[in-house]
Formats: sequence, C-alpha cells, structure tokens
Amino acid sequence: MSNAPAYEIDPKAFWTDPYPDLKRMRAETPIAYVPQLGATLLTRRDDIFENEKKIEIFSSDQPQGLMTVLMGQNLMRKDGAAHMAERKAIFPSVSPKTVKSVWKAAFEKQTAKALEELRLLGAADMLKDVAKRISGEALKAITGLTNMSWQEMDRVSQGMIDGCANYAGDRDVEARCHDCTASIDRHIDEMIPLLRERPDCSMLSVQIQAGLPEESVRANIKLAISGGQNEPRDVIAGLVWTLLTHPEQLSLIRTGGATWLQAFEEYARWISPIGMSPRRVAQAYTLKGVTFAPEDRVFLMFGSGNRDESVFDAPEKFDITRDTSASIAFGAGPHFCAGAWASRCLIAEVALPMIFERLPDLSLAGDVPFGGWAFRGPLEMPVYWSPATRKP
Amino acid sequence: METISVTWILADGSRRSAEVVTGSNLMQAALDNGIDGIVGQCGGSLACATCHVIVENAPAPLPEIAPDEDDMLDMAEPERVCASRLSCQLAAAPELDGIVLRVP
Repeated sequence: MSNAPAYEIDPKAFWTDPYPDLKRMRAETPIAYVPQLGATLLTRRDDIFENEKKIEIFSSDQPQGLMTVLMGQNLMRKDGAAHMAERKAIFPSVSPKTVKSVWKAAFEKQTAKALEELRLLGAADMLKDVAKRISGEALKAITGLTNMSWQEMDRVSQGMIDGCANYAGDRDVEARCHDCTASIDRHIDEMIPLLRERPDCSMLSVQIQAGLPEESVRANIKLAISGGQNEPRDVIAGLVWTLLTHPEQLSLIRTGGATWLQAFEEYARWISPIGMSPRRVAQAYTLKGVTFAPEDRVFLMFGSGNRDESVFDAPEKFDITRDTSASIAFGAGPHFCAGAWASRCLIAEVALPMIFERLPDLSLAGDVPFGGWAFRGPLEMPVYWSPATRKP
Repeated sequence: METISVTWILADGSRRSAEVVTGSNLMQAALDNGIDGIVGQCGGSLACATCHVIVENAPAPLPEIAPDEDDMLDMAEPERVCASRLSCQLAAAPELDGIVLRVP
C-alpha cells in the first residue's frame, strides 16, 4: 500500500456526485489513498498526464484485475510492444480514414432510421430509446457483430462493465458478466466464417486478417464493446441534456459561432464518460513524496484532471468556446482511446446534428439524474418534441 | 552521451533550441523542453495528431511517412502541408543534427 495521505469517501455520495470530493482532493491531497476503493488516486491533470506514460511503473498489465479475469487479456491490459502490435492490427478498423470513408455513412443511415421511427411518437427517453440505439448500431458496424441486436449490444456492454467494477464479489453480477461474454463469443463464432469469406474493415475482420491469436481477437472485441457502447451513449444523451439546459450555447452552434465538435470535446472534459483508468504499480516508485509499493492499485482520475483549476479556468462551467486541448478525456498516454475518431464522427458529425434537426422543439420532460464516477452519465432522460411539424 | 541540436520555431515566431540525446523521440523531446503547441496526448501511439510539426530544415532525409502516420496526419490541426510530420514518429538520429521544426 502506498503511503499517500488517506481520504475517506462515502461511496454512495461519491457515486452520485464525485466532483466535490475530487475538488477537495486536488486542493488538499492530490495523491490520496482512498480506503473505500482500496486504491491510490491521482487527481491532478498534470500528474496523470506525466505518469500515465511511465508504463514501466504504472502498468496496464493487471493479470489479477477483474477485466482480465472476466474478459480475457485485451490490448488495454498489455504494455509496450505487445500492446502496440495489437493496436496496429486494429488500427485499420478505427483509423480516421476508415471512419470517414466507411463508418460515417453507416452511422448516418442507422441514425436516420432510428430517428424516423421515433419521430412520430413525439416523446421518448433520450438515453434508453435514442442514444442507446444510435450507439449500439454504430458499434455493431465497427466491431463486425452485425448479427447482434442493439439492445443486446447494450446489455452485454453493461454486464461487462458491472462485472469489472464488482470489487465486492457479488455472485449475481459475476454470473451476469459471464452470460454477457458468452453471448459475445457466440456472436463471434457465427461471424468468423462469414468474415473469412468476405473480409471487411470491421475490428473482428481486420484482426483475423492480421493473424492475431483468437483469444486476443475475442478479448479485443469485448474491450471495444465495454469501451464503445456506454460511453458514446452517455455522451449523446448527456450532451443533448447539457445543450437543452444551456440554450445560449446551443444557439451559438446553430448560428455558426461554434461547432458540434467543440461541444463534444467540452462535454467530454466537463463530464468525462470514463472518469477513471486503473493501473498496477510494477516497481517501487516515489512521486511527490508519496512512495508506491509493487502491486499497489492506482486510479488515474481523468474526470478530476479535466476539472483541474490550475489548467482550466472556471472548470465547473460548461463553455464550448474554451480551449480543450489539455483535456485528458481520451486518456493521456499510449492507451489513448483507439475509438476517439469514431466517437467524434458518430457524436459530433452525425448524432447531435441529426437529433436536433429531426426532433423539432426538443425539450426535457422531467428530471435527469446523473450517476457514476468510473463511468458517468445520465441515468434517464424523458424528452418530447413536435412529432409532425416537418419531415426531414 | 551523444546529442544533436534541435530547433523549434514557435507559433509566435521565436526559436527554441535544445540538445537532444540521439535515439530519443522528438515529440518527447518537445515535451521535455516545454515547447508550446506540442501536446503529445497519446504518448506516441499514433492516435491523436497533437504533435504535428512542419519540417523547415532537415540536414538529412527523414524516414518515409508510414501509412498509419499518413492517415493520422489527415486529422492534424491546422491542415497538413507537404513537410508536415507527427514528431512522435521522428527520432533524433545523429545525421539530423541541426534539424529545424516549426510548430504550426
């Protein structure tokens, strides 16, 4: 265990709103041991930015970690050459060029279809009915699991995320996670022969083409699902809520004074959908007077770094005109989100502009509670709009 | 330890030079020397395009642009020009002593 000063949290309050505790930690104990989480937290942006790159100390290889145990060892749980080799193999499925030339059209088609079907209803839950579907359909295309329904995509993603956070060892949560990974494996089994016959740009296909071992292929698909469904879903819904509650910023976009991409980057800074990334200490190390021991668990708190007062002016304010280049929403080292370009395209170029264009007079119909600190987003979001004022 | 001289021309036109150990990565060298405008968000894993430089003067030919770097350069801000590179893909080779890079 590191000798960092201890900071006690109330886990329930921290889940509901982690920002007040994180603010205090940044000010008083920027590197703090939180007994309730059994981990030492790095909460300042520059500490995370500098130390995430020290992979020989803050290692991603966590053989005893729940993700590796439950989902197999994916590329996010490897370092150095082993990580880079697999990253290179999946690159053709998520490169900016593929996103632009292949996936964007698929995103537009599926999003248009979803919104057309929903439009006449006049009301829905933005998270459960709209964002979940747009995100799920996009992920089906990118992973290559076109044989899965978007509802199943969401279920297996959530099941794995819950499994990876199951530090208390709840048996039901673990069983559900096993059920979800088994479902993914069955869908992979079905798709492999089809993709061998007709290779494409999907992540499943490019890994087969690159000759990656099957266990790596399967683990990386599960990683793509656990990191590619909930996050865009939460940002799509969360950003719609944010713009509806900050109408002056929405009109700035509509009048050409700012872009959807700026709104996306600022939201990802302000309420980072992935608030934390874990590391295992591989060798003894001292950082700013705190000594880490081998096997210590360290949490890099992206959601806190993105509200660091020493880097961002008025960090608690949502302001799409701010410079977000120091944001670490996608990470800050070799494990930088491989899906970053796909998410920017899906959310800023497709989902947000289409939602506001095709659901006229979109309005909130109730409270929108948020939850989570490792993953954070809205929990429900009732909305209504004018169902038939114009056809897109 | 052998070093080479690397010069960066910053956005405001000023020049910064540093001695960089041969073999080291030029994106990392920029970060180590606090060069404004080089963010190096992804630590060299070719995922972010935030270490974009324009090669003003190279004393020797640079390694060719690999397809992955080429793809990522398309996303660079501001838009790429002929001499654009991602500095994470450049190493301080002895023959590059005196290289000049402009931060766009």
